[in-house]
Amino acid sequence: MPAQRDVVIIGGGHNGLVTAFFLAKAGFKPLVLERSAQVGGAAVTDEFHPGFRCSTLAHSAGPIRPDIVRDMQLEKHGLKLITPEVAVTALSPDGRALRLYQDANKSAQEIAAWSQKDAAKYSGFQQSLTKISKVIAEALATPPPDIDHPSSGDLWSMLKTGRAIRNLGKKDMFRLLRWGPMAVADLAAEYFETELVRAVVAARGVFGTFLGPWSAGSALVLLIRAAGDPHPAGSAHFVAGGAGAITQAMASAAKAAGAEIRTSAEVIEIRVQNGAATGVLLSTGEEIHAKAVISNADPKRTLLKLTDPMHLSPDFVQKLQHYRGNGTVAKVNLALSGLPKFVALNGDGAALKGRIHIGHEIDYLERAFDESKYGNFSRQPYLEATIPSLTDPALAPEGKHVMSIYMQYAPYKLKGDWEDQRKALGQTVVQTLAQYAPNLPELILTHQIITPRDLEDKYGLTGGQIFHGDLALDQFFTMRPLLDWARYKTPIESLYLCGSGTHPGAGLTGGSGANAAREILNDLKR
Amino acid sequence: MAGSNTYDVIVIGGGHNGLVNAAYLARAGKKVLVLERRHVLGGAACTEEIVPGFKFSVCSYVVSLLRPEIIRDLDLPRHGLEILPLDGTFTPMTTGDYLWRVNDHGKTHREIARHSRVDAEAYDEFGKAMQAMCRFVKPILSMVPPDPTTLNPRELMKLVFLGKRFQGMSSYDKYNQVQLMTMSAVDFLDQWFETDVLKATMSASGIIGTFLGVRSPGTAYVLLHHYMGEIDGAFRAWGFARGGTGAISNAIADAAREAGVEIRTQSAIAQIIVKDGKAKGVVLANGDEIYANVISSSVDPRLTFTKFIEAQHLPGDFLEEVNRYKFRGSSGKVNMALDALPNFKCMPGPGAHLRGAISISPAVEYMEKAYDDAKYGNFSRRPYIDMVIPSLTDPSVAPPGKHVLSCFVQYAPYKLRPGLSWDTEKEAFGNTVVDTISEYAPNLKDIIIEKQVVTPLDLEREWGLSEGNIFQGELSLEQLFFLRPVPGWAQYRTPVKNLYMCGSCTHPGGGIMGANGRLAALEILKDSKGAA
Repeated sequence: MPAQRDVVIIGGGHNGLVTAFFLAKAGFKPLVLERSAQVGGAAVTDEFHPGFRCSTLAHSAGPIRPDIVRDMQLEKHGLKLITPEVAVTALSPDGRALRLYQDANKSAQEIAAWSQKDAAKYSGFQQSLTKISKVIAEALATPPPDIDHPSSGDLWSMLKTGRAIRNLGKKDMFRLLRWGPMAVADLAAEYFETELVRAVVAARGVFGTFLGPWSAGSALVLLIRAAGDPHPAGSAHFVAGGAGAITQAMASAAKAAGAEIRTSAEVIEIRVQNGAATGVLLSTGEEIHAKAVISNADPKRTLLKLTDPMHLSPDFVQKLQHYRGNGTVAKVNLALSGLPKFVALNGDGAALKGRIHIGHEIDYLERAFDESKYGNFSRQPYLEATIPSLTDPALAPEGKHVMSIYMQYAPYKLKGDWEDQRKALGQTVVQTLAQYAPNLPELILTHQIITPRDLEDKYGLTGGQIFHGDLALDQFFTMRPLLDWARYKTPIESLYLCGSGTHPGAGLTGGSGANAAREILNDLKR
Repeated sequence: MAGSNTYDVIVIGGGHNGLVNAAYLARAGKKVLVLERRHVLGGAACTEEIVPGFKFSVCSYVVSLLRPEIIRDLDLPRHGLEILPLDGTFTPMTTGDYLWRVNDHGKTHREIARHSRVDAEAYDEFGKAMQAMCRFVKPILSMVPPDPTTLNPRELMKLVFLGKRFQGMSSYDKYNQVQLMTMSAVDFLDQWFETDVLKATMSASGIIGTFLGVRSPGTAYVLLHHYMGEIDGAFRAWGFARGGTGAISNAIADAAREAGVEIRTQSAIAQIIVKDGKAKGVVLANGDEIYANVISSSVDPRLTFTKFIEAQHLPGDFLEEVNRYKFRGSSGKVNMALDALPNFKCMPGPGAHLRGAISISPAVEYMEKAYDDAKYGNFSRRPYIDMVIPSLTDPSVAPPGKHVLSCFVQYAPYKLRPGLSWDTEKEAFGNTVVDTISEYAPNLKDIIIEKQVVTPLDLEREWGLSEGNIFQGELSLEQLFFLRPVPGWAQYRTPVKNLYMCGSCTHPGGGIMGANGRLAALEILKDSKGAA
């Protein structure tokens, strides 16, 4: 007689854990089943070289929605956020560096050295971003309305969002309407004349997407990001102990609330009987029955791999197959025997504590994107590097450091095999960085190279897409993952989604998990 | 009345929209004067005999979107409008194969099946789906965009109307509609078809007049925009006007004159007279002043508001928006007088395939690479070319036995990279087009009598299209509907009282539709009634 549970959650990523917490808090006994040996999904910290620990994949903390941090009391469970004064340091090949601080005025002063005009416009841009993102944040925090038959609740939240939009006033309201579908390069150019400033702002609109700065709709990605963090170039939030510490804190909060978590427990099938999910089958052959099954895995994996498609209508299957999720990000982690010397910074260690941005002009980013369209990884990639050991020395032995680097664009659909190009990718990243920090190569003790392939094989991200599906105009809000299926339900009764492949998706915010929990609770309580 | 120098309405620009605008106003009893800078009417919809005996549709060369209600209201056939069918699209491939779609359903089905059976089936489904989409969008083309920021009931009703229509669709259609508004042409087509050349040649209509690639989000809408063609009720039909595109403008002009409109060519505007916030009249280049109660400008916003009006008369943030409005012309035109017909390797000899559109769009990657060149300020080394040989259907445009080849070419970015200028690149551009076509029709070089190259810079200088954009501004999502041309001013009115816009820069945008001119006229009449 297989075990009987009320709720099973497939996958212990951050969204799965958030959902588990809220369900447990509401009196359910959720069981979280995590395939790997530790929870965290894409927010994990590993010792990738003796004595060197690093955020294996995601290296910035979200920003996690503050209300979630509050509700889960994550600080009490060991979450320590680190917010360096310098948010972003953008490097230019001409040997100059642009430091953007958390503080807008300080950033403006810095920008003045490049362009008085841009400096003057900077805070104005941040203000508009703040105003507009407040509205978007409101929309992100509410589950998307049911287009076909909106419930009274939907109408109410639509009304609220509508009111919030109206309160923007004519000017910002039109901005919101106009910006959404724009190319982020155009948006940046409307405010700034300095290429480096444009590029560092635009980068936020393309990170993790299969878009270039000239792709329409990339501005919306920026706005969605800004919803959680109105800093024009994105602020820097790290976690003591690396990204894994967030999910560890979440796990402990979920357990404290009454959730059970099992690691090394891989679900290989979701059991369905007459149109309703009845439980899961583990790789060990163990079966677990449940009243409800919630999947933190991406929509395609959940419904096309773990579920037998025969339980779904051909039309739905076809639509889901068209849900686009082509990864573009690779990750390189370096163990370093010392701190690399960045020429442009002549020894200013503080500037290295934030995110280091490589990609000095719009065209540089766009060209990097071009190569990926034709199945090559960028030979001159856009990079975001961090040296977490500067703000969190515990991550590396005394005097040594770890460097965590996002590399874009690394297309999942590569001409040829990723295995053969893994090394080349690593070299490209190191060489690119070496243009700015010539002594980097000789400091490297080891590197860990994670290709989009690995993201799929090791971390279960279909297509290596770090957001569980492209961030694109047609895959946002009521269309995430599919129009009419954006409310965390699936065509299969009592099977739900709570991962990044649902609204609002995008990053380590916990938004999807929290929204999903609310919807699922409404259902379960019926 | 002629000679008297005051009018009810002065229409700036004798393009098709200006003429439609004038015609509708005159039919409502207004005394209307149209002022055209060039010696011929029609703006970009003109026919000119560049080479003796050869009549070129210099810019716009095919028609499809012309609104049926306008053809009816102005009784254009009686004024000489005759649309000849353009049958099908022929796409030669680099492999020596080809894709030839015609209006005959069975033929097209067999032809596509030759490439992929699955696609042949999907093609029919696709046609149905697109028709449903068009049914949703069509009425929007004939409607004045609402202002979503006001609480004015009339505006809200429009939004409700749109909402209702959307609700009215099946969720299948909703799904497609939302995708069309947001996706890239290729992503959208990828869901339907597997044959690369089919996707490439279909996606082409998604980029025309924009500075976007076939993989850029938003292009699926432009695809639809060009799908809405209608001739004598025949869905998605494209055609030529007998006598060239200019014949359309002439028919409209004729209808306008009959309604009492006075039309002056070679009358360039120097300035729009504005006194205490009201438009009073215009000053011509020759210094003449002409007064009117209403000025209706069919030229683009940059000319209207930054060239013809002093900044002092305009609110600062409005000017800001105008300066921000994106033109970015991306296409050119090459017209050739030919001694004989081009001979295509993949289908030698003359034949019906030459009577339709011939599209150089052999592969999706080809299209995207053409765009990549443009992004960095070069014209495409291997451009997308859409060509027609009107002389096969309409012998009147060329001497017996000879032919006219009309080539629309993209990408030809207005802004070339530093160091290049269109004045010096013009010839190279023309040659690139000839070389590109020659790869498919090797005899072309030997049969060219003369060729006319129209660069984006020419479009700006000669036709007053800023940055050479053929639609008076990009057809990108953030510049459509209630955002066209600038947020808050999408209802043909302007911050200057009695000054209106009626060109392609207004909703519903470019192409020989005439809807802009008509809708503007109706708004002008609404206001004048209010005033009276």
